[in-house]
Amino acid sequence: MKYLAILLAVVMITCYGCASKPVQTGQKPLTAEEQARLDQEEALKRKEREARISEEELARSRAERERLERERALETQKSIPVSDVYFEYDSYTVQPEDIAKIKDMGEWLKANSGLRIVVEGHCDERGTVEYNLALGQKRAEVVKNHLVKFGVDEKRIRTISFGKEMPADPGHNEDAWAKNRRVHFATDQKG
Amino acid sequence: MTKFKCVIVTLLLVFLAGTAESKVYLDVYGKTYKKITIGVPSFQSDRPDRLRVDMSELLNQDLDMSGFFIVAPNSLLDRELTEEGIEKKDIKFTNWRSLGIELLCKAKFIMSNEEIALESYLYDTLDGSLLLAKRYKSRPEDWRRLVHRLADDILLAVTGEKGIMSSRVVFVSGTKRNKDIYIGGIDGQNIRQVTNFHNITVSPSVSPDGRFLAYTSYKEGKPNLFIMDLETGKDIHSEREEGMKLGTTWFGKSTLGYAKTSGKQSSIYTFDAAGRQKKTLFTKEGILASPSFSADGTKMAFVSDMYGSPQVFIRDNSSGEVKRLTYSGNYNASPSFSPKGDLIAFVARINGSFEICTMNTDGSNQRVLTSGGINDSPHFSPCGRYIIYSSKKGDQYNAYIMLYNGENKRMLKLVNKDTEQPKFVP
Repeated sequence: MKYLAILLAVVMITCYGCASKPVQTGQKPLTAEEQARLDQEEALKRKEREARISEEELARSRAERERLERERALETQKSIPVSDVYFEYDSYTVQPEDIAKIKDMGEWLKANSGLRIVVEGHCDERGTVEYNLALGQKRAEVVKNHLVKFGVDEKRIRTISFGKEMPADPGHNEDAWAKNRRVHFATDQKG
Repeated sequence: MTKFKCVIVTLLLVFLAGTAESKVYLDVYGKTYKKITIGVPSFQSDRPDRLRVDMSELLNQDLDMSGFFIVAPNSLLDRELTEEGIEKKDIKFTNWRSLGIELLCKAKFIMSNEEIALESYLYDTLDGSLLLAKRYKSRPEDWRRLVHRLADDILLAVTGEKGIMSSRVVFVSGTKRNKDIYIGGIDGQNIRQVTNFHNITVSPSVSPDGRFLAYTSYKEGKPNLFIMDLETGKDIHSEREEGMKLGTTWFGKSTLGYAKTSGKQSSIYTFDAAGRQKKTLFTKEGILASPSFSADGTKMAFVSDMYGSPQVFIRDNSSGEVKRLTYSGNYNASPSFSPKGDLIAFVARINGSFEICTMNTDGSNQRVLTSGGINDSPHFSPCGRYIIYSSKKGDQYNAYIMLYNGENKRMLKLVNKDTEQPKFVP
């Protein structure tokens, strides 16, 4: 619409310039007016363009920042020293051999005091959707309780259950199930 | 083919001999009942197109899904039978009877651009008596609904209670990290995606007045529970306390029940959607899950692991007395009260599979209704005669429906993806 107006103005000026000159002479103030409007519109357009560019820049830098954050999170994630904690079927008791693993995690958290983590509880596919979601919560909480016992501030640990909704292994055999009955540590991106 | 016909006819005749004496059509709640053979010839119309056959076939499908009928195959019917009129004076009932057809449904329709009008009759072929005579009207594009209404009315005439083919269901569908809630007709028509959160959304249930949808969603990064007003699509209540809040179920007019697992104790709460009041009903150490209330709210079935493994319990909500109902096996979960109050459906782990079972409300008379796979989320129809549930065999969950005694299992064709946690919309 705006372009149309400008075009119209330009056409009018041109027409005025070549056709109407000999007849009408007292129209100069109007030309100045037109010129002013044209200038104004030009300025507006420039401003818009500049705004758009700065917005694009902003978005780019935001994306860049997010990418860096993600990379950093990934980096921290990679530096989490322990693997998942595994459970027996329908159980939320940490097996004795895994206590050391949780302790290592606790030591790492104490060494990296700025970090917060999410403790995710997962289950295998055998069982009801609802009971598994509750069971996953229990698994996450029991691991959190161990971490707190080892001296980690509980405010730094968030628990969440995914029940059987996010299996690590999509298979339907004992191997897959064993891998899916787990507590997974992740860095808390919100924290 | 003729051999096949003969076998069917013989079978039907044998069947007929057994049921001919009594005039009571179906004693649905008796220990056993015999299915009635029904014939539905193509509907009649001045229009020569496929719709005549489509409508009668859909009615046959509906009657088959109801579980109370044997649908006579149309290959049995010769020209003389199919071209007969629909009114009593036009019908030679002995011909139908000789094929073993006990009930006969005939219908004709007139269709204009704005309307389809269906005129239908249900006859007993023994004496030609009329069990049902009804007219239905709808917009032409809604002809399926019209057939479903007829099917439901046939059920009413024969069994004393309406059928479920006009019902709507709510369910969860999607992929691993992307599950949403859908509502649609039980016939797979008019399916609507209700939530679109690009996250995990589970455990839907619609309030008895049909107005509210309760669900649990990870849309805010952790599992929170919400109540949505289905009219506006906006959440009217949210539960954001720490922990897993889950297992939504309704009773009374608009009271929600749900369980929360967080910390040492778990609790079951009720929330009155009309008065916006929350109450703690029951608290216990360990896991509490899947509450289900009797229609009047006086009793509640639920799952607890207070004895080490998930088992089903019942609580008298006035006295607070809790009684354990399941003792066999180490995994009994997902209880669901029948609206009639006489049965509780639940899931039991049997020989490594998860089976849908029913029991009386005192835990007696436990019956296994499915065989093999992972079956989950049993839920009764509002009439109490059907159980809807999800079943996973191989890689995909599908929704199924069966009679309360496990007979007549039929897969529902709702969406082409995993279908979980199906429930009837009241």
